[in-house]
Amino acid sequence: MNWDTFIWFALPAMILWASAGIVVYRKKSKVLADILMIAGISIYTLFIIGFWINIERPPLRTMGETRLWYSFFLSVVGYVTYRRWKYPWLLSFSALVASVFICINLFKPEIHSKNLMPALQSIWFIPHVTSYILSYAMFGAATVGAFVQLRKINRKGLSDKKIFDLLDNLVYVGFGFLALGMLMGCVWAKEAWGHYWTWDPKETWAFVTSMGYLAYIHLRLQGEKREKVALWLLPVALILLLITWIGVNYLPSAQGSIHVY
Amino acid sequence: MWQMPWGYPESIAITAGIVFVGFMLQITIKGFNFYLLTSPVNLVVGALIISLCLLTLALKKSKFLSWFTGVPFSVCIISALLVLTLIMGLTPQTASGSANTNDNFFVLLGFNNMIGSWPFILIYFTTLLSLGSLIVRRLAKFKIKDWGFYLNHIGLWLVLFAGGLGHADMERYIMHVREGEVEWRVYDDEGTVKELPIAIQLNDFDMEEYPPKLTIIDKTTGEPQPLSAPDYYQIDTKAPTGKLDGWVLEMNEYIHQAVRNSDSTYRKAPMPGATPAAYITMTNPSTGEVCKGWVCGGNQAQLYKTLELNEQHTVVMTVTEPKRFMSDIEVYTPDGTTKSAILEVNHPLRIGGWTIYQYGYDNAAGRLSSYSSMELVYDPWIVPVYIGFIMIALGAVAMIVRGHSPNRKTLLTD
Ligand code: HEM
Repeated sequence: MNWDTFIWFALPAMILWASAGIVVYRKKSKVLADILMIAGISIYTLFIIGFWINIERPPLRTMGETRLWYSFFLSVVGYVTYRRWKYPWLLSFSALVASVFICINLFKPEIHSKNLMPALQSIWFIPHVTSYILSYAMFGAATVGAFVQLRKINRKGLSDKKIFDLLDNLVYVGFGFLALGMLMGCVWAKEAWGHYWTWDPKETWAFVTSMGYLAYIHLRLQGEKREKVALWLLPVALILLLITWIGVNYLPSAQGSIHVY
Repeated sequence: MWQMPWGYPESIAITAGIVFVGFMLQITIKGFNFYLLTSPVNLVVGALIISLCLLTLALKKSKFLSWFTGVPFSVCIISALLVLTLIMGLTPQTASGSANTNDNFFVLLGFNNMIGSWPFILIYFTTLLSLGSLIVRRLAKFKIKDWGFYLNHIGLWLVLFAGGLGHADMERYIMHVREGEVEWRVYDDEGTVKELPIAIQLNDFDMEEYPPKLTIIDKTTGEPQPLSAPDYYQIDTKAPTGKLDGWVLEMNEYIHQAVRNSDSTYRKAPMPGATPAAYITMTNPSTGEVCKGWVCGGNQAQLYKTLELNEQHTVVMTVTEPKRFMSDIEVYTPDGTTKSAILEVNHPLRIGGWTIYQYGYDNAAGRLSSYSSMELVYDPWIVPVYIGFIMIALGAVAMIVRGHSPNRKTLLTD
């Protein structure tokens, strides 16, 4: 199996994932969603195995190969997290993002072979980035939820306990992935550069972001108190997150950052 | 305000006060010198912090302590850390935060070296004390179901404690070793030479390169074409055709390690001075022109070769990018142990208390580099930091699996 046959696995996998992401909203077809999702993951896994055997080395070198794993882990972890928390959009969302990475591989094949510099050739690269993507997904959803809740409070003067339950869970799960992503980054940095934390601009911003969500977690420990402050913290923290993710490269303070992506 | 139990107003006031005192200190006595905290000073400071945290046990009923270890103050400390590092993320940082004569306000406040500024240092120590006392208070009422709490907070405390106090004990040096020679002299980050009790012999330096790219350049300007969005063909024997600036490229032969024959052809020769070379056919579909020939990027040992298309344009090969570079080394220590290893990026070598990293090479020479640079790191506090990492990682798994605990109100009332 190689990139020429990729489409014959990618297309069915995407169709299966998309169907799972749609039927999961119907109360009666939960089992069907499970079957579709697992079938999609299996087909996709089959390609990775065949590809691995074909190229006679672990597919971890080029950007295209890296995206192959993003899609894999996103679909698997997204599915497992959905099974744990039963939020159907979790399944749809991870299926969608996984498909986006597949589409990049299908439509922009010339960047398959973009060369990975030696420092990026590490087993930590993929879990580090995938973990971050998953936490971004949770935090993105939490921000939407925060606005829904703020509107409820403004209209009725009262917050909805169910929404707060959802928000707190999302932030906890998101923070768990964020922490894992950061820790893997630390261990990787130690292996590659000799120190686990150098306050590189990207690291500084990742720290700022994590403090935002940590503040939310602790603010929420006192239940009803300061509800609005906690809710407004979520969009603010998301802005910090977006700066960390895409904005850092444009900041004057980031000239000479080791993070080039 | 200021009536026990204290809540947010008092917490905000006190946190702001700490930061304010920090700025005053910064303006009057300038930055905090982290290297004051080298061993044994850091051990004394660490013991002091731990003792203060343990004091919590004696003052269980203290209202002050339950505030000092409570939620409002923790939120304020976390927010202070957020604001200070946010400023840091917006201000270009200088290594030492050295003050110039034309100091502006930001430099006076220590913004250009936040980590070494007094507000940050004071908040850091406050965090260690508050978090440490909280841990002691909660451990005194140990409950197995709080395992997630313990893992996260003890883990973070360990990382902050060992990472911060241990920072000054860390040593980092660069060593340049020539092929076939033994070296024990190193340079610190100020460029001063030092001799280490470790010697490294470099048997061989080697590099693997990615296949380069081909592109068409303008002969007079050297700019890749078309100017607006240059076309590149990434050499790939499995995909031997491409398009460059309106020309169709067909790669007939590719030799990754080639040397030039006398007659401008290339042959395979796996030796240090070899360089990639490709035999290509360029066809212009609109005019029907065809050009064939060898293209080679060259290196210090060989001339480059281009394929001329017309007066103005020629096909060139880009310089290669490194895929892996590695040093075959032998390391000697005073106690007689030797270790040999192939050092590579992401694959350091541990010996004694030292870790040796592949750092660099002669960039201009690339594969032909006659020396290899290595970084030697001595980090005696790494073990507690890694224990902290593992604890936080397990705590993170707890958060992912369990979510927020719905019955934490009962937990907070006692
Ligand atoms: C890795 C970072 C951290 C994580 C993941 C975290 C998470 C949590 C969680 C989940 C709780 C709820 C405890 C429970 O339900 O059993 C909690 C409580 C608490 N945390 Fe943190 N926390 C972190 C760092 C901090 C820091 C830096 C501070 C202080 C500066 C702090 C202070 C507190 C306090 C005061 C409580 C309330 C506990 C009580 O009153 O008994 N935490 N934290």
